[in-house]
Amino acid sequence: MPDDSRNNLNRPDPDALLGLANRAGRGKLTIFLGAAPGVGKTFAMLSRARIRKNAGADVVVGLVETHGRAETEALVENLEFLPRKQIDYKGRKVDAFDIDAALVRRPAILIVDELAHTNAPESRHPKRYQDIEELIAAGIDVWTALNIQHLESLSEIVAQITGVQVRETVPDRVLKQADEVILIDLAPEELINRLKEGKVYLPDNARRAADSFFRLGNLTALRELALRRTADRVDDQMVDFLKQNAIEGPWRTSERLLVCVGPDTLSEKVVRTASNLASGMNAHWIVVSLEQSDMVDDDPSRQMRIDALFRLAERLGGETRRVQGRDFVQEILRIAKREHVTQIVLGAPQRSLWQRLLRKSLTDALLEELSGISIHLITTEDQPTHDWFAPLKRRLAANRLKVRPKDVVTALATTAVATLGGRAMVEIVSLPNVSMLFLLAVLVSALRGGYFAAVLASVLSAVAYNFFFISPVGTLTIAAPHEVFAFFIFIAAALIAGGIASRIREQGKIAARRAAQTQILYDISSKLAGTVDQDAIVWTAVSQLNGTIQRPVALLSPIDGVLSLRSCWPPDTELGVAEMAAARFAYEKGEAAGAGTGTLPNSTLQFRPLRGPVGTLAVCGYGMDGHALDPVEERALGAILDQVTIAFDRAMLTTRSVEDKARLERERFQSTLLSSISHDLRTPLATITGAVTSLKEFGDRMPAESRRDLLLSIEEEGERLSRFVGNLLDMTRIEAGALEPVRDWVDLGDVILDSVARVRRIWPDLDISTSIAPDLPLVRADSVLLGQVLFNLLDNAFKHGGGEPVTLYAKFDARSVSLSITDLGRGIAEKDIDRIFEKFYRRGKKADGRKPGTGLGLAIAKGFVEAMGGTITVESPAVKRRGTRFTLRFPIEDALKDRREP
Amino acid sequence: MKGQRIVVVDDEPQILRFLRPALTAAGYDVVEAETGKQALALVATVAPDLLILDLGLPDMDGKDVIAQLRSWNTIPIIVLSARDRETEKIAALDLGADDYLEKPFGIGELTARIRVALRHKTHSEPAPSTIRSGDLVIDVEHRLVSKAERTVKLTPKEYDLLLLLASHAGRVLTHGALLKQVWGPAHEHDLQYLRVFIRQIRAKIETNEAEPAIILTEPGVGYRFVTT
Repeated sequence: MPDDSRNNLNRPDPDALLGLANRAGRGKLTIFLGAAPGVGKTFAMLSRARIRKNAGADVVVGLVETHGRAETEALVENLEFLPRKQIDYKGRKVDAFDIDAALVRRPAILIVDELAHTNAPESRHPKRYQDIEELIAAGIDVWTALNIQHLESLSEIVAQITGVQVRETVPDRVLKQADEVILIDLAPEELINRLKEGKVYLPDNARRAADSFFRLGNLTALRELALRRTADRVDDQMVDFLKQNAIEGPWRTSERLLVCVGPDTLSEKVVRTASNLASGMNAHWIVVSLEQSDMVDDDPSRQMRIDALFRLAERLGGETRRVQGRDFVQEILRIAKREHVTQIVLGAPQRSLWQRLLRKSLTDALLEELSGISIHLITTEDQPTHDWFAPLKRRLAANRLKVRPKDVVTALATTAVATLGGRAMVEIVSLPNVSMLFLLAVLVSALRGGYFAAVLASVLSAVAYNFFFISPVGTLTIAAPHEVFAFFIFIAAALIAGGIASRIREQGKIAARRAAQTQILYDISSKLAGTVDQDAIVWTAVSQLNGTIQRPVALLSPIDGVLSLRSCWPPDTELGVAEMAAARFAYEKGEAAGAGTGTLPNSTLQFRPLRGPVGTLAVCGYGMDGHALDPVEERALGAILDQVTIAFDRAMLTTRSVEDKARLERERFQSTLLSSISHDLRTPLATITGAVTSLKEFGDRMPAESRRDLLLSIEEEGERLSRFVGNLLDMTRIEAGALEPVRDWVDLGDVILDSVARVRRIWPDLDISTSIAPDLPLVRADSVLLGQVLFNLLDNAFKHGGGEPVTLYAKFDARSVSLSITDLGRGIAEKDIDRIFEKFYRRGKKADGRKPGTGLGLAIAKGFVEAMGGTITVESPAVKRRGTRFTLRFPIEDALKDRREP
Repeated sequence: MKGQRIVVVDDEPQILRFLRPALTAAGYDVVEAETGKQALALVATVAPDLLILDLGLPDMDGKDVIAQLRSWNTIPIIVLSARDRETEKIAALDLGADDYLEKPFGIGELTARIRVALRHKTHSEPAPSTIRSGDLVIDVEHRLVSKAERTVKLTPKEYDLLLLLASHAGRVLTHGALLKQVWGPAHEHDLQYLRVFIRQIRAKIETNEAEPAIILTEPGVGYRFVTT
């Protein structure tokens, strides 16, 4: 039974299967990995390509440097090459790989050498591996070559071993995500021999470096690194295979590292060490930065350092996260618990004696709280320096201690006022101690100017107090010992009070800024809340964003499937080719692109995707002006974009629901239309078939009267059917524009009498009175069509006239001949009157107890009249709140002119 | 059989215009109704033997008429419909209608259906011990089936299905009804079972499998066992 399989515990790991599924539709990446240049990666790659080509595979060379080596040249002879793109770089032409040509050509296998290559500045991506990632995503298999020293995480080790700093690096994930890694190995001695024989191509400027690089020790170390990396990969594949195929362990228990970083210089080392630890243990690692949640960090450089650390961690394969909180220990514990962290990595900063005495370190606090989690402490390599002033320097360096002239003025002014006020008071009320007044001056300085002003005011006040008030007055000496004591207490009090007041001021500023941000958010959300119009949303978003970040802003969203500029500020902001490409990239890939990112950095704007629940809805671009947004702006931008995304999503849903409703309505209409046509066709057919078969089967058993009635019904239904089919055909002709009225001179009177006679034959009890003006001019019209129109209108009058008399008037004035048909039925409801000429529109079924029509009569009448150049109008109620009047008008110019001519 | 009373419900006067003389000539008593309410009232008052019902009525849906009738009455109902939507017919049959005819139809077809429906009504009590269709004989008592004097081997499910169809000979049984009765309510929508089994049964009992003459297909609706 199939149910048994559900009880099977040996199911494949869902994550492992998901990993497989994510690869579907993507191309495969094959990396030929070597320890050093010259081991024969390109040769191996091309040999393999040749074999595949001969086997019939669609192999194309995107870019390969053969460096003029004969043995390599021979390999590429019958391979197809993509044309290279010429790029102007600093005045000279540079051959570059053409990614667009590759995407258009779409070969099964594309060969692009030199994975670590850095592209020319004008290219779409700064790095070649990004080109290759795009090709893979487009479903093209790519073969490429890489030397182990270009791997990001190894760059430091390589630098230590070889003394050569590698600049062109490839993130580790590229190698990790490669579908196949083929190690090209060559013994170091042989490589050195090849080098000596000149078989290894090196650019001239690298010749000198080469000698120190291609030493036996270096090459052996690099070879070991390459072999190790390949071995690790094979191990990973084995584990993956085990997971995907539900093979029982022993699997390695998965280690999870939590890496805590800050803006200090040690953190980079922490990240690199953690990366090596993680790759050694095959562990998942999360990098968190801790921020004090009740402080606004105004220093952009600290944020930028954190960002740089995060980018490094991401390149090395780590996950990154920002955490805000008051108590770092508790935050770390919370994450550790939630993420099932097994080890924590942090830096051990140099701490001064004071710090050690006064505050417990984060490490100590963690050690007290943690159980079952090990801690790695990373120390600096620098000699510990005992800089006593380091904390003070840091504080001075911080923004809030910047010396502004305004602060000096504040401190001077308040001290001067306090001195003068003190003198005056001593004169008037003989105040024994004026130090309070100076304390007030310090507080005022602190509140107005901040910490620096407070400190300065304290010093100045102390001097002034001493000079002007402490005896001996006029000197800086202090006579009485108790005055000395009071003086120092004053200084201490002034400094402390100043410090507290300046902090209050700082917090006030933070609160004000938060309030302003909240206000902006509140404004934008209230503006967006009631809006479902996309244009209004776009406009609100752009104007608010421009007001908040003070840079050019542009918003783009797809219109009819093409990403287009919806709104921008200032209005003359222009998007060039690079900007549009970056915007499209951001929209399609759902990641930031343009200035300041890794994709199309030469665009002047950076574009952020607005990602809704069903994908990217729009992209927002803003000018970079050479520097990134500061953290406050960044936060405001993020919050506003979130609001805009929600509003946009809502607007799109609303539009869609309106469209859906309209479509539903249309479908419902079409389905009732179809069933009504089928009913109208089938009922006469059913009657005819039924009557004929009845006569055939039971004719001889029926009274003659019944037989006659059946025959009559056959005749009538035949006519009915014929009328309906005729109407349908007329309607089709009108709609197809195939109606070509034969316009001839028509006497309206004749047509009217003829139609009335025809109607009377069918409905003998219809009471029709006609009134035709004498001397009615001839009308240029099609008499058959006109007759049909009159018949339809009379038919309509009969059906809805409630058995009351119908009147028909024909008259003319200077400009037109008009013809009206008025019934005295119930009239047409106001809601129906606009739709009365729509085809298949019927007033309430059996409104007057009579059979409804086909819903075509009036539509046909209108079509015919208009084809003949006339107009038809309807009014209801027509007479004394009853009845309906249809009026036809034909222009008289034609009529008069032509009457004279013949 | 003569003198049986039939109530005809249709809002199209043209249809009544030929049904009335034709059914009268065929020997039935015809009572006409134009609306669903009239029809329900007539069934209660004149105690007809059969109801011919158009599904498109001005006051209520024909299906509702069937549902209401079936709550207290077992009178045979033949549904007439201009609509060619299969779901309508299936719904009507599942609600308890005995048969359906699609407009336009010949009067001979209608009278044949009327006869089948009336026969079921009169002979509903004693189940026949043998059912025949051409040279096919089903011995209900001994669960034996023979075709042209030769025994046909059927699996129990095949036999159940064939017997179900045969015991409602002349009437259409919907896919849902067949599946529910033979395979149980859980398999009401497993149409593929039915298709496979019908094919197997036809292979065993039909003279020419390509032109079935015993079990007829009602496209989109169900199957009908024919006795003649």
